[in-house]
Amino acid sequence: MNRTILFKLSAALMALSILLTACGGGQAATPPPATQPPAATVPATQPPPAATQPPAATQPPAAQATVAATAAPYVPPAFTSKPSGKSTADGFNCPEPNPRLPVTSKELNLFVWTQYIPQDFYECFEKVYGININYTEYSSNEEMDAKVLNGATNYDLVQPTDYTVTLMIHQGLLQKLDHSQLPVLANFDPTYLNLAYDPGNQYTIPYENGTDAIVVNTAAVKDVPKSWADLWKPEYKGQMVFADDSRAVIGLTLLTLGFDVNTTDKNQLDQAKQKLAQLTPGIKKYDSDSPHSDLLSGDVSLGETWTGEAFMAQQAMSSIQFIYPTEGSILWQDNWAMLKTAPHPDAAYAWLNYTMQPDMFWMMLTNFPYTNPNTAALAYAKGNPMQVTDVNGNSTTLGDVYNTYINSPITNPPADAIKNGHRIDDVGAATALYDQIWTEVKSGQ
Amino acid sequence: MFKRLRESKSAQGTLLIIPTLIFMVGMLIIPLLLTTVVSFGHPNANGGVTYTFSLDNYIRLLGFTNDCPPGIKTCFTTLYLGILWRSLTLGFNTTVLDILLAFPLAYFIARIHPKWRDTLLFLVLVPMWTNFVIRVYAWMMILREQGVINSLLGWTAGLLHVPFKPLGMIYTPGAVLVGMVYEFLPFMILPIYTSLEKIDNSLYEAAADLGASPFRTFLRVTLPLAMPGIVAGTILVFVPVMGTFIVSDLLGGAQVILIGNLIQRQFLDARDPTFGSAVSLAMMAMTIVATYFYTRKFGFGEEIVV
Repeated sequence: MNRTILFKLSAALMALSILLTACGGGQAATPPPATQPPAATVPATQPPPAATQPPAATQPPAAQATVAATAAPYVPPAFTSKPSGKSTADGFNCPEPNPRLPVTSKELNLFVWTQYIPQDFYECFEKVYGININYTEYSSNEEMDAKVLNGATNYDLVQPTDYTVTLMIHQGLLQKLDHSQLPVLANFDPTYLNLAYDPGNQYTIPYENGTDAIVVNTAAVKDVPKSWADLWKPEYKGQMVFADDSRAVIGLTLLTLGFDVNTTDKNQLDQAKQKLAQLTPGIKKYDSDSPHSDLLSGDVSLGETWTGEAFMAQQAMSSIQFIYPTEGSILWQDNWAMLKTAPHPDAAYAWLNYTMQPDMFWMMLTNFPYTNPNTAALAYAKGNPMQVTDVNGNSTTLGDVYNTYINSPITNPPADAIKNGHRIDDVGAATALYDQIWTEVKSGQ
Repeated sequence: MFKRLRESKSAQGTLLIIPTLIFMVGMLIIPLLLTTVVSFGHPNANGGVTYTFSLDNYIRLLGFTNDCPPGIKTCFTTLYLGILWRSLTLGFNTTVLDILLAFPLAYFIARIHPKWRDTLLFLVLVPMWTNFVIRVYAWMMILREQGVINSLLGWTAGLLHVPFKPLGMIYTPGAVLVGMVYEFLPFMILPIYTSLEKIDNSLYEAAADLGASPFRTFLRVTLPLAMPGIVAGTILVFVPVMGTFIVSDLLGGAQVILIGNLIQRQFLDARDPTFGSAVSLAMMAMTIVATYFYTRKFGFGEEIVV
């Protein structure tokens, strides 16, 4: 072989790799979501969904901590599932949209979290409405916002997490939702509606939510922490994992000092910085991607993580516990929002109503271990004998999936945990201050 | 017109560079100018830019700040210079280790029977066909608490009946260095190989005839003739290593902030594209200056002719 050619070839390859490293490296290292779900295998259901759902079965058991922190559990409207006659590639029988909205658009453009939507949602919607879906995935709120702000305006729907909603409203990127076209809103537990970042749900509708709290492997840690402040104990040094998320970690530090998670007070933030600097040398890993794998492999034994990761870790290893700290956990909620520039609002409304109707949204219970604010979907799942297959290929009934969900204090947090929780909100100009603290603390200053 | 094109070599040349020219202007020159303009601006709270002409971002980068103890107006922090220094050190260490590892292998490939060379070079290139990030994940599997190395050591210890405590390798600065050295090794091997392969065997014979020891031959013949390859490899390794942070995030547990993290955070989490632009330009300037002095001392790779 001609060596000159070989060299040129390798030089070209190298140049290409450098380019890819320069471009791709940046993207790959974007802090992944605080909300990233597990790899999604969409459940195949064998028989068609039960025709009717007993409306009486909507009350959560009294002994269980209810999803809602409100005194009386929310009772969603009764729902009747009808088959559409269409089915997906893996054999799921798509239900009929209820209600079916008039749609003239032929396309729908979605910008969504990585692996956060069951494949059957896409397939069924395309089949029953005859609409073609184009979707792009993102792995952090900041990435999504930056792209939309800088010209990716051709999307209909995006999935911002709470503080990003505030930011996108301020940036003028979102349009107000027409509630007359969203009967699906009645499916949601009011605990998760009308939140501070969007009073009256003018711009958003909930999707899934969860908490950031303490995760601990009780087999490796004898003295189980009860509060965020406990994580400062010297005995935990070098065994801890935290999210690579400045707002969450600075936020929990503020809570240990008795301050608000969204403070913009310079003095309080300075104190938090001093305190955080004592914690960081003991942190072995910052991970917003897949901390459960480090917990399972024994590389770390405790730390701060979010609902989905804690649930997956606990399913694999029963000694893992999720502790709601005494200062209050950090609550978050992912939402649907419509861009002001949405080219197909009619298709977007149809998508929201259809995918979040009870006989569709129950799917979130199977492979997306988060807190489900859609009470109607929970009611539909409860006691439903439909056969579903989980990620590991094990067949079980939807009723059992519901029981696993409702009996786990991770996915179904006690009412107190919600009531005492804190929500991260946008802090405007102080965002730079938080980032500065994060940079300084991580640089050992 | 076509007739002229057929006849004129220079017209043909101009035509051929037009696609590249458009690409370079559109994808490099214009973005670079925009970055420069943005770096003189101020951020607004929603992540936008207020265009001004201010050197504040550069002053901040140097470490001057108004965030001082009461009574003092301006003070100095080594925060950003420290991050730059950390990235430079990592780049330097990676490059030196890559030279030390790549040289013997390149020498071996260059001196082996020609029928094996293409195969060996092919084997050097093969790992680069796998995605960069996946190769880093592979190192996580190797280094972690219950990873390949610890499992093997544990198994051996079990056979020898000695107590074994897993080595804490992952999420340490050492793991970051190992990952970096591995990722960029082929960029060092190939240019050094190309230089070594050109060396005429008679030079070694002449050195031996004149009584030079093998060590002296290496210092006076091999090394000077390999310099172009080392220089080219150094540039190919050092420059990208400076901006890479994925290895540090995954193998180092994201414990430190490198210049790449700093820039990325400014554009996303901190919502300050102006400071992010200033840091990008400063890093680029620093790399250019370093490369300039380096190539002035050692040539650009081809000046040293046999």
